[in-house]
Parts: sequence; structure tokens; C-alpha cells
Amino acid sequence: MNANDKPDAATLTPRQALWLDLMPFYIREAWLLDERKFRAWLDLFTDDVLYFMPRRKNVPRREAQRELTPLGDLAILEEDKRYLAMRVDRLDTGMAWAEDPPSRTRHLIGNLEAEPLDNGEVRARTAFLVYRSHLETDHQLLSGYREDVLRRVDGGWKVARRTIVLDANVLLDKNLSVFL
Amino acid sequence: MGTTRKHAVIDPATGKIDRGIFSDRAIYDEEMEKIFGRAWLMIGHESLVPGPDDYFHTYMGEDPVILTRDGQGRLHALLNMCRHRGNRVVRCDDGNAKRFMCAYHGWTYRNDGSLEHVPGKSEAYYDALDFASLGLIEAHVETYAGLIFATWAKDAPGLEAYLGDARWYLDTVFNRRDGGMQALGPTKWLEPANWKTMVDNCSDNYHVPTSHLSSAAVQSRFLGRPRLSHDDQFRSPNKHVFVNGHAITFRDADDNQPRYMHGVSTETMRLFEDYHRATTPEVERRLGTLRARRVQLGNHSIFPNGILGFRLALPRGPLKTEFWHFVLLERDAPEELKRVIRIGSQANNGAAGMFEQDDVDNWRQVTEASTSRFARRHKQDLSMGVGHAGPHPDYPGLVSERYISENNQRLFYMRWEQFMNADSWAGIPLDPIRARFDGTATMRG
Repeated sequence: MNANDKPDAATLTPRQALWLDLMPFYIREAWLLDERKFRAWLDLFTDDVLYFMPRRKNVPRREAQRELTPLGDLAILEEDKRYLAMRVDRLDTGMAWAEDPPSRTRHLIGNLEAEPLDNGEVRARTAFLVYRSHLETDHQLLSGYREDVLRRVDGGWKVARRTIVLDANVLLDKNLSVFL
Repeated sequence: MGTTRKHAVIDPATGKIDRGIFSDRAIYDEEMEKIFGRAWLMIGHESLVPGPDDYFHTYMGEDPVILTRDGQGRLHALLNMCRHRGNRVVRCDDGNAKRFMCAYHGWTYRNDGSLEHVPGKSEAYYDALDFASLGLIEAHVETYAGLIFATWAKDAPGLEAYLGDARWYLDTVFNRRDGGMQALGPTKWLEPANWKTMVDNCSDNYHVPTSHLSSAAVQSRFLGRPRLSHDDQFRSPNKHVFVNGHAITFRDADDNQPRYMHGVSTETMRLFEDYHRATTPEVERRLGTLRARRVQLGNHSIFPNGILGFRLALPRGPLKTEFWHFVLLERDAPEELKRVIRIGSQANNGAAGMFEQDDVDNWRQVTEASTSRFARRHKQDLSMGVGHAGPHPDYPGLVSERYISENNQRLFYMRWEQFMNADSWAGIPLDPIRARFDGTATMRG
């Protein structure tokens, strides 16, 4: 660290520098979601994003490759930017009942691992715990991980592909109306 | 049965229903026996067990069931309960296996349910164990156009009689193509609501312009889909029909348009139209002209717990229901069309679906209102359109005069009473099959 308390690039490996670059991105995203700034959140995604949440099955340990359903099977979410934008717009209609009154959420994002890809994009995995409280006493802890492909756009990072894997087989919540 | 009815929960003349049926534990337990223990239950689709020795884990009501295809290709629905102590013999969602071994003491069953091996058969049991009587408990299985149904009741009528004239309508989605359908899914989640609230909701078109206005509005803006309003629904020539226990709504228009389903947008409309045009001759051959060109199944339920196609409301106690969402695709449809329908399906239905996520708090609060002894004194009102339904010259079943009606809801709870008050299947009335099934399509596809 130098006198200004900024990381000294000379003492960091490229992986460490990448980690320090990405972690604030994920922290900012978490605050945008928890403060319900969904339009700003939507801007964190590229126009060609795939926002994908496969189903997670109980399979024998030796058949672990079948645990997550592949793209092309029915997913919990398989959204492009337009569908995501529809979901965000919906919240402002005053009649999106699942989220009106809105959920109280807390996104805790950690365990970041990032690696650069040959095409200049970055693959980043994070673990999440998302607490959701809704109406009077409904509450749910959603646990899982994200695997993102990040792209540099206009000097900032954007998510070009997000795969969300929940640590659940039967989702124990009444619906999945919050963003992960 | 008049005043001697044991369960008299609905007054057909006023549409008032007793809220206790949504939360009373004793009623729920009786439902498991008299409805889920008797009715033909939708449990799977042939495409989930396509090859020899494939299995898919499913449920008949609360009971875990292994749907298997044995080495000879025969389907079995086996209670997932080891005959020794009751442990489950399958703990995975699906797979391929010739036999299932109980993880408790090692009793092992073939995938046709027969008991094959017991450790210590001679050394511990003195060869006194009657293997033949200790196979997995097997339900009776029949199929309709690839959909697999099962019943525990030995005295149940055949599936064809059970579906009755509802099949005349169901065929327009499930039995259109020679190549049949394939099922993808399920997504599964636990809803804090009584199972009947969601089945009843299937032909409640009245809720759509209120509960789902936000989703319809953004889809109108982003996808060019029509806006949704009460006026459109009140003017709609579509029909609301109750047939032999099953609630049906359908589009009735002589314009041979493709079915308006999730996935349709300004850009994808062409895909749907081209496919519809290309397949119309085949569908006419299979279903006859009237059904091919005019009748399109809309929201519907198959008694007791099949919802909007192949989707299941699985009871988990009076106040909880596990919901399973599948999408069915016509196997020979173009891949791009399948992709569009699949994406439309997840966007709108399922745990995260824009339409579906707005339903659950309604159902849950309807359920919870019934837990209060005070609130229960005030009955639910299902009076809409009382006295405005009857036979129709062209369409089988009891047809409501208007598309927006609570006729199907009243009849659903009356059907519920018939099951709950009958001592056996002999006491449950079935409407005879009267419809003319033009075309070549049959129960077998």
C-alpha cells in the first residue's frame, strides 16, 4: 500500500489486481439490488446478456455431470436483456403484486474467484447468501453461487453472461421474485 | 343425496362455500384418502422415461412414486416405500436403473417392483419370507397422448371414461401432432397455500386483468402482445366449460389462428403462424376440421390436481402445496419455435414466472383466511353467473353463457363433494362420453 492507501500495482500480481478491481463491482451491484435501484442494476448487464438459472437435480454422486440442467432444458430463468428489462419495468406499474409491497433483501456476495479469458473477458465466480423478507413474516435465505462472464465496456465491467446456481432442489420460497 | 350429504360445503344456488375446506386437517386427511387415493392422477410424461430402465421420481398426492419403464418397455408406478420398514428405495430425481436397493437393510427390487434380493434370506429369515407378496406397491397406470396417469383405486373406471368429453378439448393441445409431445422440467417450489386454491384458479379468468395486469402491460410494451382488460374479457366469445370434473376454457373463433401462448411476440408471431399453417392439414386429419381450426384449449385443470397442461399441485398438508412446472413441446416442431416457447414458459410461469409469481399471495391469503374460526363464519362467495350455464349445441360439457363466470369453480367444489361423499367409485358419477371425436387421434396419441 502506498501513502494514499491505494494498492500499488507494482506489488500486486495480475490476479490480485483483477480481484481488487472486481470486488467493488460486486459490492456495488449488491447495494443497487438492496436499495431497489433496479434500472441502474440493469445497466450492469451487456445488451447480449444471458441471465440463466438452471434447475438442480438429485442425482447419484457418480453422475454429478447431470446435476445441473443444461441450456436447452427447462430452466428456472433463461432471460435475455429484454426479458430482464420487462421484469424491472413491471415493478414500476404499481401492480406487480409479488413485489408490491416490495421485499426487503440483503445480498451478501463473497468468495470471489476470477480468471481472465483469452478473448479479454473475465470469468468470475462468487457465492451469495440472499435474505428476503416479505410482507409481515415471510422470510427466506437463498444460498448459491453465480458464475459470470464479465466484459469491459466503456471503461467499466458489465455482465455478459450470468449463471445462477441455487443450493436447493425444491425452492422453499413462495416465489422467486427477487433478483440474484 | 340432499341433506344426508356428509360434506355439504357449497350451496349451488348461491355459490357460498365453507372456507373450512382450505385449512381443516381432518378434511385434508380425508381428501388424501378419498380424492388422491381414488382419482386418476397425472404423474408424468412418456418422454421423461424414454428408454428401457429409465425412471422418474414423482408423487401421487403426498406419496412418493417411482415411475419406471422396465426392460420390456412397460410403465410402472411404484410406491417409493421399502416393504420392510418403509424407507425410500430411490432418492434421486431421475435416472436409469435395473434395480433399486434400499439403503437401510439392502432389500433390492427390480424396476417392475418385484422383490429380487433380501440379505440373509436363508441365514436370517429361514427362507420364510414371502417374496411374491413383498414387491413395491404398484398403482394402475394408463396413458393419454403421452401423459401418464395413475390411480391406487382398483375399482376406478378407465382413464378414457375418467377424462370423458374433456378429452375433446384437451386433444387440441396434447394430441395435435403425429410425433406427440415432449416434457421438460419440472421446476419445483413450495407454496404456502391449499392445493384447491390453485386448481380452482385455473379457469378463473376473472382474476387475470387484475392479478396479472403488470405482466400483461410490460409484455404489451416490449413484445407487442395485446393489452389485457376486463372489457376484452367480458366481450370475449371464448368459452368456459365444465366437463366430467375437469375445468376447461377455450378460444372459440373460426379464424384458424395459432394458439396464443407465452413466447408469442411481434417478432416470433411469424414462427407460430408458419408452423400453424404447415401443420393444419395434419391436425385436421387428427382432430377433424372443427377442433383443428376453431377450438383452442385455454386455461384448464384436470381433476384433481393437474393445472394448465402438465403441471402439478402436490398437496403437502392443508396449508402447503408443492408446485411442479413443466413445459410441453411438440416433438417435431422447429427447434427455434421450441426455444421461443421454452423461454416464454419460464418467463411467465414457474417460481420466477412473471404471471405466476403474482398469484401465490392471493391463494395463500385465501387459505389463511380460512384458519380463523371467526372469519370462517363468513363464507366465500362464488355466485358469479349462477343459473347461466347449460348444454351447448356444438360443444360438450356444461357451457357458461359468458367467458367470465364462476360456474367452473362451483362445479369443481361440487365434484370435490362427490368424491368426498362417496363410499367407493361406484358412488362417483361420470358423465357419459357424448362428443364426436372426429379425426384419427386416440387416447394412445
